[in-house]
Amino acid sequence: MHSATPRSQFKALGTFALLLLLTVFVGCNRTRKYPLQGEVVAKNAATNEITVKHGDIPGFMPAMAMPYHVKDPAVVQELQPGDKIAAEGFVSKDGNDYWLEDVRITNDTGRSQAKTPVAPHMLIPGEPVPNVTLVNQDGRTIHLSDFAGQALLVTFIYTRCPMPNFCPRLSSQFAKIHDELKKNPGDYAKTHLLTISFDPKYDNPAVLRKYGLAYLDDDASGFAHWDFASTNPTDLAHLAQAFGLQYEEEGDQIAHNMSIVLIAPDGTVARFWTTDWTWTELMESMQQALHSRGQK
Amino acid sequence: MVRWGELITSLLLLFLPMACSPSAKLSNAETQGQWLYDGHCAECHENPHPELRKQPPSLHRLFLAKSLPSGAPATDEQVSKTIIAGRGTMPAFDRRFREIDVKELVAYLHKLK
Repeated sequence: MHSATPRSQFKALGTFALLLLLTVFVGCNRTRKYPLQGEVVAKNAATNEITVKHGDIPGFMPAMAMPYHVKDPAVVQELQPGDKIAAEGFVSKDGNDYWLEDVRITNDTGRSQAKTPVAPHMLIPGEPVPNVTLVNQDGRTIHLSDFAGQALLVTFIYTRCPMPNFCPRLSSQFAKIHDELKKNPGDYAKTHLLTISFDPKYDNPAVLRKYGLAYLDDDASGFAHWDFASTNPTDLAHLAQAFGLQYEEEGDQIAHNMSIVLIAPDGTVARFWTTDWTWTELMESMQQALHSRGQK
Repeated sequence: MVRWGELITSLLLLFLPMACSPSAKLSNAETQGQWLYDGHCAECHENPHPELRKQPPSLHRLFLAKSLPSGAPATDEQVSKTIIAGRGTMPAFDRRFREIDVKELVAYLHKLK
């Protein structure tokens, strides 16, 4: 459904170029980033480009349809004209290059669940988290929505991880957060920790319980504040895409990155961390989330 | 005519290294075990990690005491169990090691002074 004629496209490009020139002239000489929502009107798999029709982006550009480069060919392959998307739009310093990252299909075609692009697409802070079902160390079914009203800190591990700087360190630091929050009953009641395994085949409830007790110094009452859970492979992949987790089986080990997510009391993403964090920073962010936006 | 001086010198040179470090000569199994230890165990058990909840204990002279750091008896069976099932914050290695690997590792741990 290609609604933009070459002439109107040229006109749009021209308008855009003029606006950009003005912006650059005014002194905004750096890569610009803006949230974009629109509809795919055309795509060119050969050049990895999609043409998107979008509304006004206040202070930046009026409603128009224009082509954007997309890095991941799998994304271009997945998209179809008519798809509604949300993405991060980027314009290079010199205004010559414009591209999209974090492209997400937002219309309900069913395809976005069945065949999402391979590269993880993280949620933007403020977006609601998916409500997946998990099974915790007690064999009980839990949902992310169970923690509405609390500041929830989520991370991912696998119990067989032999790298001391990865999962063991991550769980050790979560244990410190748990201990510290326990000192303040008010904070303790309004916060929760959730450690999710990306090795559900091995990390069943019994294994997770044993693992959790090791980090809770054998105090099972700690599970009321810190759940260790796993989920089915489909929901796990869904969570991984939402939270920027990457994991891949390599023989008997699983290669993975680090992903820590703070979910605000209103169930939206507040903040992400990967490798650059301290346990005090994570804990303070949880406490701040209780007293800022998103609290019910 | 046997040149005794040369013979004795040769023998000394051959056996002297063993006298200096009695554990240097490892059997094939123990050598395999050392390779496994260096590749899978040393990272935690040789270096202190201040951020870890529990410090991995040193495994040197493990079998010289009656008990393991956990308090369990210092037997091959107990050490093998720990390697396979993990313990506390130590991960399980049942997926990573075959039965022969565990045997070789335990053999090496007997020699780790």
